[in-house]
Amino acid sequence: MTKVVILNQGIIASIIGPTGPEQRRLANKVMEEALNKAAISFQTITYIVSTGYGRINVPFADKQFTEITCHAKGIISLFPKAKTIIDVGGQDVKGIKIDDTGKIIDFVMNDKCAAGSGRFIEVIADTLRVPLDKVGDLSLQSKSPAKISNICTIWAQQEVAASLAQGIPISDLLAGVHYSLADRICRMVNRIRVEEAVIVTGGGAKNKGLLKALSEQLGHEILVPEEPLITGALGAALMGKEIVKLAKKDNTPLKTKERILEEIKIL
Amino acid sequence: MTATQAAASIGPMVKEFITGTLRARAEGKQKIAYTFIVCHHEEIFRAMDVIPIWTENFAGICGAKRDAERFLQKAESLGLSRSLCTYALCGIGFDQWREELGQMPPDAPWGGQARPDFMISSGQILCDPRSKWYQASQQFMPDVPIYNIDLPYPLFQRDRDHRDVWGYYHKYIVKQLRGLVAFLEEQTKKKMDYDRLRELVNLSDRTWNLIEETYDLRKAVPCPMGTGDAMNTMVPINFMMATQQAYDFFVNLKKELEEKIAKKEGEVENEKYRLMWGGGLPAWFALTDFNYFNSKGASFPVETTYRMVAPLNQMDIPETKDPIEHLAWRWLGYWTFWYDRAQKRPGSEPDVERLINRIEEYKIDGVVMHEAFSCRTWHVGLIWQLHQLSKIYKPIPVYVIGKEGKKEKIYRELPSLILESDIIDITSYSEVDTRNKIDAFIETLESNRLNKAA
Repeated sequence: MTKVVILNQGIIASIIGPTGPEQRRLANKVMEEALNKAAISFQTITYIVSTGYGRINVPFADKQFTEITCHAKGIISLFPKAKTIIDVGGQDVKGIKIDDTGKIIDFVMNDKCAAGSGRFIEVIADTLRVPLDKVGDLSLQSKSPAKISNICTIWAQQEVAASLAQGIPISDLLAGVHYSLADRICRMVNRIRVEEAVIVTGGGAKNKGLLKALSEQLGHEILVPEEPLITGALGAALMGKEIVKLAKKDNTPLKTKERILEEIKIL
Repeated sequence: MTATQAAASIGPMVKEFITGTLRARAEGKQKIAYTFIVCHHEEIFRAMDVIPIWTENFAGICGAKRDAERFLQKAESLGLSRSLCTYALCGIGFDQWREELGQMPPDAPWGGQARPDFMISSGQILCDPRSKWYQASQQFMPDVPIYNIDLPYPLFQRDRDHRDVWGYYHKYIVKQLRGLVAFLEEQTKKKMDYDRLRELVNLSDRTWNLIEETYDLRKAVPCPMGTGDAMNTMVPINFMMATQQAYDFFVNLKKELEEKIAKKEGEVENEKYRLMWGGGLPAWFALTDFNYFNSKGASFPVETTYRMVAPLNQMDIPETKDPIEHLAWRWLGYWTFWYDRAQKRPGSEPDVERLINRIEEYKIDGVVMHEAFSCRTWHVGLIWQLHQLSKIYKPIPVYVIGKEGKKEKIYRELPSLILESDIIDITSYSEVDTRNKIDAFIETLESNRLNKAA
């Protein structure tokens, strides 16, 4: 997903749109949408920061930061006591550790295997023909979560299909899938020594079943932002705001790109 | 890209070494032995005119040339798992293919790995493929004998002085090395020339001290040579010890570094961060990641990997005129080098102590490690070392607003980054993801740098 946050004193517009194969075209489109929503012109934007895997594909961005830095920034602004951030995204899962001063001290990422990311649930939901937004609630109805033994997404998909054929209820299968994913996430984030307050962001934070499984397996209470999908974009906007503030304070010129939104020709 | 002329000369040097082994094979005048690095037996080989083929080196070359996959697949087709040591897999796959064809596999990297006359394995503590690899290869070369040398050392125990028991270890290792001499005498039909061996041991000792002096120069700010280069200069340390060429190489490198320091020429133009490569073998196919670090202003003044020497004058080992006895003492002195210091620091261990000392001596801002999935030896300890390090060592002073609204000084642990892939299996590596992690790590370092400056 591609997200935009426009910030003034608070958030004045935020947009979440799907990321297609043509990221650079999409960056223009979602920016236009966000500007329309905020009812402001592109020229009025003082500074633009891009983040995420596609951060280099935002031609009008003045600066880029990684999602690790931006998620941390966004979360700290919402939860000043946050110590551990777990971002469960569609592509990857990240764990970020923050110290008392709000600085990142460690991070881990699973970026190689779909089995450790939100994509795992998407694939299983598709197999079970359950809409993604119903997966969490449905799994909470489970009385006996199924044991999913395969760690590979493709094998797990077949295992779930076979279990469904054997008559195991969908709610039990979904609960089992959540426990399986939570187990892998925990094993990864435990490397950074999880401490409260623990905040979960990303698409995974919208799934109550996964949050329950995560909380149980981590042994910690979990907090979730109101809009868990935009914390990275919010952090990027806050980083931009800080840069502007610093430039004003130091009386140094702000280096920005020309504010033109034109479609890029991709060969 | 390399920062030093010396590192740039390594590629042709390795190529000449590989070509030389192929020439020797064709001429048939000298015996050729497969063997492993870090066994302190090079002097014995060279004194007997036996040419060592470092099989880990050849696998690394295949990896660096991004041409290991077909040999790994060969080994897989023999029923061996991809999760085994990929150096061993590559070597076994290569040997099987060469033996099957009766000639080198097509387009073998740098002409290929010559068939050995014998194989010297090593049942030492470092890693299990050192004794198992050649057993597997022997299936395809049943006429090639294996001789195994055992090289143990006392493991660290906080409440014990290793010197209480190292006499027993010494006796055993001496016997092992004398056994190797007897085996080589039998194979080469020659007698060991002990005067020559003594000279070669002396040459190695001088090279060890010279390497220490040379690498110590990297403490300079800006750092004149980084780990990217050290992954090249490891060649004379690990593959050419006990040769005048290795000694001369470090004479030249030392001179080059001294000149760079005088001119304040660093590995990177504007050195912002000083990092330590804290362990793990490198991803040989992705050494350009070091250039990526450099492009962000990060230099690597020190690494623990492949610095397989320690200053002999700081080793508390008995003196002896017998070169074999000396080799055994040097072996024990090297592996127990950090024991005394580790005992003095609560919670420390030799590997962690080495990290702490390097961090302080080289003014390090962050630690980078590489978990190569197929290298169990390194893999197991790395995360533990980082955890211990962060527990007992917090060197970064920062100021925070305390409970009563007053400024308080606290100490933050050193940031660390663990890269994940493999030594030669390129399928385990993603450049985009690796560089994303590096970017995030650099942002953390930058935040610390600004904080420290404030």
